[in-house]
Amino acid sequence: MRVPLGWLRDYVELPADPQNVADRLAQLGFPVDAIELRPEITGVIVGRIVALERHPNADRLHVGTIDVGNGPHLTIATAATNVAAGQIIPVATIGAQLPHLKIERRTMRGLESEGMMCSADELALPPEWFEDGIMQLDESAPLGADVVDLYRLGDAVFDVDITSNRVDAMSMIGLARELAATRGVELRLPGFANPGTIDAGAETPRVTIESPDCIRFVAQRFTGIRVAPAPAWMRIRLALAGQRPINNVVDVSNYVMLEVGQPLHFYDDAKIAHHHLIARDAKPSEHLVTLDDVDYELSPQALVIASETGAQGLAGLKGGKASEVTHATTAILLESATFNGPRIRRTSSALGTRTEASTRHEKGLAPILTDYGAARAAQLLVQFGATGYAPRAFGAGVAPADPIAFNVRDVKRLLGFDLSLEEIREYLDALGFQVEPGPAEALRVTPPPWRRDVSIPADIVEEVARMAGYDRLEAEIPTIVDHGIGSRDYDLEYALARTLSALGYREIVSYAMHGADVFEKLARAGIEPSSQPVEVRNPLSEDQRYLRYALGPGLLTYFARVDAPVRVFEIGHVFYREETAPAEAPTLAFGFTVAAVDESEWRDSHFLRLKGDCEALIRELTGRTDVEVTRDVRNGLHPGKTAVLMLDGREVANVGRIDPRAAKAFDVRLPMYVCSIYLENIPDYRLPRYMPPSKYPSTYRDLALVCAPDVTAESVSRAIARAIGSLCTGVRAFDEYRGKNVAPDKKSLAVRVHLQRNDATITDEEADAAIAEALGALSDLGIAIRE
Amino acid sequence: MSELGITLSALRARFGDQLRQAVDLESSEELRVAYLGRSGEVTLLRRSIGALPADERPTAGKIINEAVEAMEASLLQAQRRLELQAFDSELAQSIDVTFPSIEPVRGSLHPIRRTTDDICAYFRRHGFAVLLGPEIEPDYYNFDALNIPPDHPAREGFDSFFLTDNLLLRPHTSPMQIRTMQTHRPPVAVVTAGKCYRRDAVDARHSYMFHQCEGLLVAQDVHFGHLKGMLTGMCRELFGPDQQVRFRPSFFPFTEPSAEVDTTCPTCGGNGGSCRMCGGSGWIELGGAGMVHPNVLRKMQYDPDVYSGWAFGFGIERLAIVRYDVDDIRRFFENDPDFLKQLA
Repeated sequence: MRVPLGWLRDYVELPADPQNVADRLAQLGFPVDAIELRPEITGVIVGRIVALERHPNADRLHVGTIDVGNGPHLTIATAATNVAAGQIIPVATIGAQLPHLKIERRTMRGLESEGMMCSADELALPPEWFEDGIMQLDESAPLGADVVDLYRLGDAVFDVDITSNRVDAMSMIGLARELAATRGVELRLPGFANPGTIDAGAETPRVTIESPDCIRFVAQRFTGIRVAPAPAWMRIRLALAGQRPINNVVDVSNYVMLEVGQPLHFYDDAKIAHHHLIARDAKPSEHLVTLDDVDYELSPQALVIASETGAQGLAGLKGGKASEVTHATTAILLESATFNGPRIRRTSSALGTRTEASTRHEKGLAPILTDYGAARAAQLLVQFGATGYAPRAFGAGVAPADPIAFNVRDVKRLLGFDLSLEEIREYLDALGFQVEPGPAEALRVTPPPWRRDVSIPADIVEEVARMAGYDRLEAEIPTIVDHGIGSRDYDLEYALARTLSALGYREIVSYAMHGADVFEKLARAGIEPSSQPVEVRNPLSEDQRYLRYALGPGLLTYFARVDAPVRVFEIGHVFYREETAPAEAPTLAFGFTVAAVDESEWRDSHFLRLKGDCEALIRELTGRTDVEVTRDVRNGLHPGKTAVLMLDGREVANVGRIDPRAAKAFDVRLPMYVCSIYLENIPDYRLPRYMPPSKYPSTYRDLALVCAPDVTAESVSRAIARAIGSLCTGVRAFDEYRGKNVAPDKKSLAVRVHLQRNDATITDEEADAAIAEALGALSDLGIAIRE
Repeated sequence: MSELGITLSALRARFGDQLRQAVDLESSEELRVAYLGRSGEVTLLRRSIGALPADERPTAGKIINEAVEAMEASLLQAQRRLELQAFDSELAQSIDVTFPSIEPVRGSLHPIRRTTDDICAYFRRHGFAVLLGPEIEPDYYNFDALNIPPDHPAREGFDSFFLTDNLLLRPHTSPMQIRTMQTHRPPVAVVTAGKCYRRDAVDARHSYMFHQCEGLLVAQDVHFGHLKGMLTGMCRELFGPDQQVRFRPSFFPFTEPSAEVDTTCPTCGGNGGSCRMCGGSGWIELGGAGMVHPNVLRKMQYDPDVYSGWAFGFGIERLAIVRYDVDDIRRFFENDPDFLKQLA
C-alpha cells in the first residue's frame, strides 16, 4: 500500500527522517518495500491572481498580477489557458527550485516575469491526474504560505507491505495507530461522530439483506450534491497515495477508504427506486455493466447490491454503471458495508477482477468500520456543502469481541523472556485492547473492535512481542532429546550424490516440467513414454504443461545443449499415473557423452565404463557385490547395448547407450550413455564380512576359448567356476576377439582363471586337473579351447 | 710370496681398478658377483685350497680370507660412493612444477545440494532428523492442516500447480511437518528439504520450481528464543562467525507469533550503502518462521498447553545466490558446465 508520510503525520507525531519511520514500521510487522523520496522543491508559495491581462506582445501569453501575501504583488507571465482572476495558485518565486528547473528572473517577450505559475507537474504530481494548466489550490490556503509545507509535498511516500491478517492496518489511521502505540505518543483521530442527524422521513433509505454474506450495511442519504473537483489538499493526498482524483464524491469514497480502511460506494439516489437497496445473490445469467464499462454475466455465486429494478453493483468489488454518480447527480446514497470475505474473494477470482475495495473486503473487515466510514464520509461531504441525513444500519450490530483468558506466563513460555505484568498491560492498552485483571496471573483481554485477527492467547503473545520488539528475543540453543526419527531417504540421496561426484560426475538440477515437444521427439524416435503423463491443470505456459516421467529426456536435452563430452547426474522425482492417480518416485540418472570412438560393432568400452561406475555406486550404497547383470531392452536405450542390474531379483539399475533414434530426435550429436536407478529399489546397506586371504600362494591359467557370439562372458565365467569348485577363486574375461583366424560364426574369448588352496600351496598338477575339469564342462556347452 | 699370494694380489689389484671405474651400483654388483659370487674368481680359488698339501691349507685359507675381507670392504666403500653419486645425480634433476597439471576427472555436487546439506548437517548435529517427502500432496497437507482453510486469503501466497481437484505440487515443504506430527508424538525435531513449485513467472529472482528447507521443533518448553539461537548458528555456519539474525513480525496462518527472518548481508558485511545484494539495507531476507499455531498442534492431537514448538522455511536458492554471488536464479537450473565447475 502506498502511504504518504505526510498524511500519517495528521494522526501521529513522527520523526522527520523517513528511514526512522520505516524501521519502526518494519519492527511492527509492516515492512516498507520502498521509500519514494520526493524531489526537492523550494520557493513555491500560495498566491492569488488579482488581475489577468493579455501579454502586450504575445497573443498566447497572459500576464497575471499575483498577491502573495506579504510584500509587493508579482507580475508573472504564463502560457496556461486555465487561468483567471481570483484563482488561488502555486507560485514559484525567483530562486525557487523545481524538480527540473530553477526559477530565475527572465524576460518574456519584453516583459519581466517575476516567477512562474505552477502546474501539477512542477510540484512533482502526475500531470495527467490534475487540471490541464495551472494547478488550482484551495480558498483556505493562506497567501504566501509555502506550498510544499502546506500540502506536505516534501514528505516521502512509503510502499508498505501489509500482511493479509492485518486488514485493519490497510489504512492511514490503522498504521498511525500502530506507530503511536509503539512510540508511546498520542493518536489524534479525526472523530467519528456522524453529522447526519436530519430525519429523512419517507426518503429514508432502506436495505433488505437477503444473503447472510452481507453482514452489515450502513446506508445514508445526502442531498445538495454538486459534483466538482475535490479540494486540492484531498486531490494531492489521493495522488500521492496512488489514487487518481475523479470528483468530490468519488474522491471522498477513496479518501475515506484510505484513511479509515472502509471501502464505500455512492449511488446516484435518483436511480435507486424508493431509496431501497437489496443485498442478494445474483440471478442466473444476470447482467451487470460496471463503472469500468465491463458487461458481466453473473452466476448466483456473485453477491450483488441491487435496486428493485436490478443489480446496481458487485458487492465489495465495484459499482454499476446504471447508478453511477455523474455531473447531473444531486443526491447520493452511501453504502458502507461488511461482507463475508471469502465470498468476495471467490467472486473476485471467478470474474478475474480485483479492486482496492475487494482487496480489503476479501480479508474480512470489522463491522465497526462501517460506522466510522459513513461518519467520515458524511463529515467530508457536509464540509463540501452537502446535506446529510441520518444514517441507517442494517444487519448485524457492532458487538464487542469476546474477552480472551490470557495467562501472562505464556509470554515467557513462548517467547523465552520475561515481561512484567505492568509492561504487558501498557502495550495492550496502547493498541486499544481492554485488559481486566483475572485470578492470579490470568488476564481477561478484549481485542479492540477493529481487530478481528486476535482471538487466542498466542495472538496476544504476538502483540506483546511486537510492542516489546522482536529484538528482545534472546538467542538460545535448545537441548533436543532423542525422538527416534530417522533420515534414511536423505542419507541415501546424499550418499548417491557424493559417490557419483567422486566417480567424476557433476550434479545438475533441471526443471521438472516440460512441454508437448518432448513427447513429439519421443514419438519421432518411435518411443512410447513408459506411463501416462501427469498433466498440470493450470500451467503457466505450454512448455510447462507436463511433469517429467523420467530423467532421460532432460538429460538428452542437456547433452544436446552442451554438445561437448560431459559427465553429469541428476536426482529427482519422476511422475506417472498409478491407475489414474498421479504418483511419483525418486530416481537417479547419470551418464556421459564422449567424443566419437572407432570400435568394432561388438565392442563398446564406454558402455563397460558406465557399467563399472554403476557397479561401484551400488557397491558403495549397498555393500553388495552380488549384482546380476543381464542384457535387456529399455525404452530409449539401444536394444543391443542395454543391461539390467539386479539385486535380490529386483531391478536396481539399467545402463545403456542411448538409442540412436532418440539421440537424433533430441539433437544429441555425441555418443551418449545413461544409467537409471529407482531409489526405492536400492536395498539397505549390508555390512561386508572380512575373509582372511589364504596364506598359500595362488596361481592362474589364461584360457583362449572359442564360442558362439551370443555366449556371454558372465556365463562362461560361471561355468568354469562351477566346474572347478572351491579351488577357483575367480574367473575374469579379459579379451574378446572376432575376425581373422576365428570362424565367422564364432568369437574368441580370453579368460583368466585364478586358483588357490586355503590349506596348502596349490601344485601345478592340481591346477592342470582343475583346468581340465573346466574345459570338460565348457565343451559340453560347445565352447572349445582355441587351437 | 706364495703363488697363491701373487695370484691374489694381482686379482685384488684388478678388482680395485675395475671397482674404481664402476659408474653405478649395478656395475659394482656385477663385480661382486664376478669376484665374490658363488662362482666368482675368489670363490673358485678358495675351492682350490683342498688341492693343496694339508700344511699349506691354513695359511692359504688365511690369506684368502684377508683378501675377501679387504675386497668386501672396498666394495662397500665403492657402493657407498656410487649410491651417493646416484642420489646426487637424481637430486640434480628438476622440472617445471608450474607446467599445467594433469587433471583428474572431477565430479561435483550442485550448489543447491551443497547449501542444503550444509544447513541439514548443522541441524543434525543438534539432534534434528532430515526428511524429504513427496512433491505431490493433497491440499489437506498443504493448507487445511496448516490452518489455511479454503478461501483463506493466505492461500493467495501459495499460487499452486494443481494436478487434480485436490492434488497439487507442494508450494512449500510444510506438508512434511504434518506427516511427521501425524506419525510421531513429541518431541519431534526435523528438517525437510526438497523441491517446491509455485506459479511464479520466471525472472532473475523467481522460479516456478525452487528448493526449500524447513525446520520443525515441538517439545515441552520450546520458545521463540530457541529458534533465534538455532538460526543464528545456521547463518554463522553458512556465512561466517559474525552473522547476526534479526526477526521482524509477520504473518503466517500456521505460526503465531510469526516472524520474517533476516541475516546480516554477507556481501557488504551489513554496511549496506550501495550493496546490490541487499539493496543497501545491510540485511538479507531468509524467509518465514514462527511458533507453531495452537490450531495446528491441536489438529495433530498435541496439547498446545503442554507442548510448544517452532517452524521455519527458507528458500535455498536465495541462500545460494548470496553464498556464491550468483546473479540470476535461472543459472541453477541451466547447469552450464562452466557454472558447475566454478562452484564445485
